[in-house]
Amino acid sequence: MNENRFATGFLIPGGLWLLLLFVVPVVLVLALSFGYTDDLGEAIYDTRLDNYERLVDPDYLPVLFRSAGFALGAVVLCLLIGYPVAYYIAVFGGRWKNVLIALVVLPFFVNYLIRTYAWIAMLGDDGLVNGVFDTSIRFINTPYAVVGGLVYGFLAFMILPIYAALDRMDPALIEAGKDLYGSPWETFRHVTWPHTFQGVLAGSVLVFLPAVGDFVAASLLGGPEEVMVGNLIQQQFQASDNWPFGAALTIAMMAFLLIWMSLYLRAAAREGKEATA
Amino acid sequence: MRAFDRPRFLRVFVWIFFVFLFAPIVLVILFSFNSSRSLQQFDGFSLRWYETFFESESLRDSLIASIQIALITMVVATILGTMLAYGLVRARTRWSDTANVLMLIPLVTPEIVAGASALLLFTQVGLQLSLTTIVLAHITFSISYVTVVVRARLAALGRQVEDASMDLGATRWQTFRLVTLPALWPAIIAAGLLCFALSFDDFVLSFFTTGESPQPLPVRIWTQIRFGVRPTINAIGTFMLVISTLSIGLALLLPRLLGRRESGLKVLLGREGA
Amino acid sequence: MLNRRDLLKGSAGLALGAGLAGCGVGNIDRGSKAETEKPIRKRVDGDLVYFNYSEYIDPALVKGFEKLYGVRVRESYFDSMSAMMAKLRAGIHYDVIFPSAEYVQRLRSGFLIRRLDRDKLKNVDTVYSYFDDPWYDPDSAHSTPYGMYATGLGYRADKVSGMTGSWRDLGEADSGDRSFLLDDYQESIGMANLVNGYPLNETDTGKLEDSKDYLVDLKPELRGVSADTITNMVSGNAYIQHLWNGDIVNIRYGVDNPEDFKFQKCKEGLPVGSDNFVIPVNAEHPGTALLFIEYMLEPENAAQNVEWIGYPMPYEGAPTEAFQGLVKEDPEINITVEDLEQGQQFENLKGEGRLAWDEVWTEFKVS
Repeated sequence: MNENRFATGFLIPGGLWLLLLFVVPVVLVLALSFGYTDDLGEAIYDTRLDNYERLVDPDYLPVLFRSAGFALGAVVLCLLIGYPVAYYIAVFGGRWKNVLIALVVLPFFVNYLIRTYAWIAMLGDDGLVNGVFDTSIRFINTPYAVVGGLVYGFLAFMILPIYAALDRMDPALIEAGKDLYGSPWETFRHVTWPHTFQGVLAGSVLVFLPAVGDFVAASLLGGPEEVMVGNLIQQQFQASDNWPFGAALTIAMMAFLLIWMSLYLRAAAREGKEATA
Repeated sequence: MRAFDRPRFLRVFVWIFFVFLFAPIVLVILFSFNSSRSLQQFDGFSLRWYETFFESESLRDSLIASIQIALITMVVATILGTMLAYGLVRARTRWSDTANVLMLIPLVTPEIVAGASALLLFTQVGLQLSLTTIVLAHITFSISYVTVVVRARLAALGRQVEDASMDLGATRWQTFRLVTLPALWPAIIAAGLLCFALSFDDFVLSFFTTGESPQPLPVRIWTQIRFGVRPTINAIGTFMLVISTLSIGLALLLPRLLGRRESGLKVLLGREGA
Repeated sequence: MLNRRDLLKGSAGLALGAGLAGCGVGNIDRGSKAETEKPIRKRVDGDLVYFNYSEYIDPALVKGFEKLYGVRVRESYFDSMSAMMAKLRAGIHYDVIFPSAEYVQRLRSGFLIRRLDRDKLKNVDTVYSYFDDPWYDPDSAHSTPYGMYATGLGYRADKVSGMTGSWRDLGEADSGDRSFLLDDYQESIGMANLVNGYPLNETDTGKLEDSKDYLVDLKPELRGVSADTITNMVSGNAYIQHLWNGDIVNIRYGVDNPEDFKFQKCKEGLPVGSDNFVIPVNAEHPGTALLFIEYMLEPENAAQNVEWIGYPMPYEGAPTEAFQGLVKEDPEINITVEDLEQGQQFENLKGEGRLAWDEVWTEFKVS
């Protein structure tokens, strides 16, 4: 019991901070979503449901699903690309492990916008790739470019947790697995994968959730059809000056994501119990 | 035999990965030295864009502001997030679920809303927007990332070593300091680097919570890029890259110091590979 | 358990909303009429806190001002009027800001900007007489114009055929599927209104439906809806781009074949506008701000600025000539006094009109 109190105490600083600096503002946003904008464009608090009524319009559903779709695509690609890279560095990296992981993280220190514009310079219709190979493939302003942009922006979030989990794994386990299961694939399935599952989950969450709310990729790399929920929200806050409706959109989006969140929680809890067993 | 097949395929894959990862970076670096304004043709070597960058007092101030913000955010968020991760994994109280959800919701929140809600809060409370408000906002939204990363590793660690340490007579605090923390270091450093990168690169949150001056670098870049990409941006990007490389290099030295301590502990406990 | 928590939060939100009902977000420093009318003494009273679009002033001129009066200029930037308002609402004290015309009206009616005694400023007589008593600021008592802009279609003369001088060219001219609409709800809905023969600021819901239909039908013809006008054209992704005249000037600076990039003013209507100097009522150094405005009005400085920002400034003499020189091969890009008088300007839309526009735009985006 004492140990429990010790650990519980650890919850307090972070928890309190989040309560004051996150929950309170979000409740403010929630309150604002019941408001309206006056003649001068000022946002006023109130208790109207107008914004939510507007949201129930079936026109808005495709945008939500498209955002989830793009985000899901980004997660899958990040996993397919990121897991092998993390695996290679953790298992075969040897002395160069730290350098390699640093190299993976390094590009993410160059501003996201600058990197995206560099991609546009490279893949634009008159860009490097089309120039060098003398082709005229349209890369930019397509849904593929949007997913690509999301992957490029969030890849590190997938690689780092998986790497951390792999790095923790005892290499002896893999050896034992090889003896037990014979083929490398079976070893991976029964030994490596379960041990890194928490990392994969963490990475997936870290990529999926912000990707759904992203607006930069769609606005710079997408065509007119590629409108994500984040673009809509940004528009309300930055162009239309309609904060209450933007607030309502946000709450709706957060509710949508909370569903996915609870799935993650259940999966993580299940794995956590198995790991400590 | 088969054990070597995978490395070869993997190695090629990883090489291609790095090429794609760094291609735009190389482009940015290359064009930062372009003597002309063109962003498509390299017309000769020149340092003019760096001159423009360093001569600009406001850009210099922005850079320093960004670094300050990222450093403070990294330290505070890592501490708070690691503590939270430990509490979530090791404590069993009726507050655990609440704390868990509380920690996860910032991840669910789109940046634009994070910014707007932070602005709402500061405005309502009457707090003047400044570098402080940016830092407060950044920390709030970095804690969750730290917690998620550290928790993954902590869960995989298991309690055996900690239990053994306490059986041997160490207090809970000593156990945490000498057993748990060192084992967590790679995850903590990874999380810390993540925080720094997130904060340094962040512009939406910063955009909403920034005061009048100086504005963090990404805010400058965003507002600047919308009105025409001037090549100075490539110089800024390259410079940011150099700073990051140096800071990562620094961060890499830390595990080496801890590595010594860890093996000392292993010897003490008579365990290997723990 | 999650449900209970959500319910709790929901009711907390509702309760808070009810409690705050009627309160506006933030506490913008509303001045009284007396405060806004107090004259400003033209003198150095501290550093200048400057808030404007990025890349909208020559940095050399800023440095020049700093040296001349021995003050620092603390610059920060916004990228939309909405962002500017958000910062004002947050209570930040700026000395000089640059709202567009309809926002000047908005700020004025809210008693948020101070009186500018224009006659105290040297060279103010060079300002186009059109601005002596503009619709958004009677007697020009609270503002002085900074830059002018007009919206049209930028296009690649070497790649596009079938330009007929109409807004419809955006969707109908042969651009190899490289047409971009400007991602600005004001400009786009305004354009759709003009195409349908309605006034720029049409708010009738029936007529707005027509405009929305026009935009929705336009979508398949578009490669993108974007505000990155300059990048799109420079990178070759766009052959026709809905943009502002100054953008074309800046695009030309960045390419090897500037003569191929042209600007078309469209016959159905020309949206024009101005960005204006104003001094907020809570400015801490209004004297320095006034000196700054005077400094920018000086013909040499303004002329230099014109060449840097690529937009015309409405002052007679050197600044006007400077812009004419910039666009001498393509006078279409220039804004003449006739354009100002005959073009249409964006107005402040009231309540329902604004909401109607907002709905049109959002529905267009999700369609």
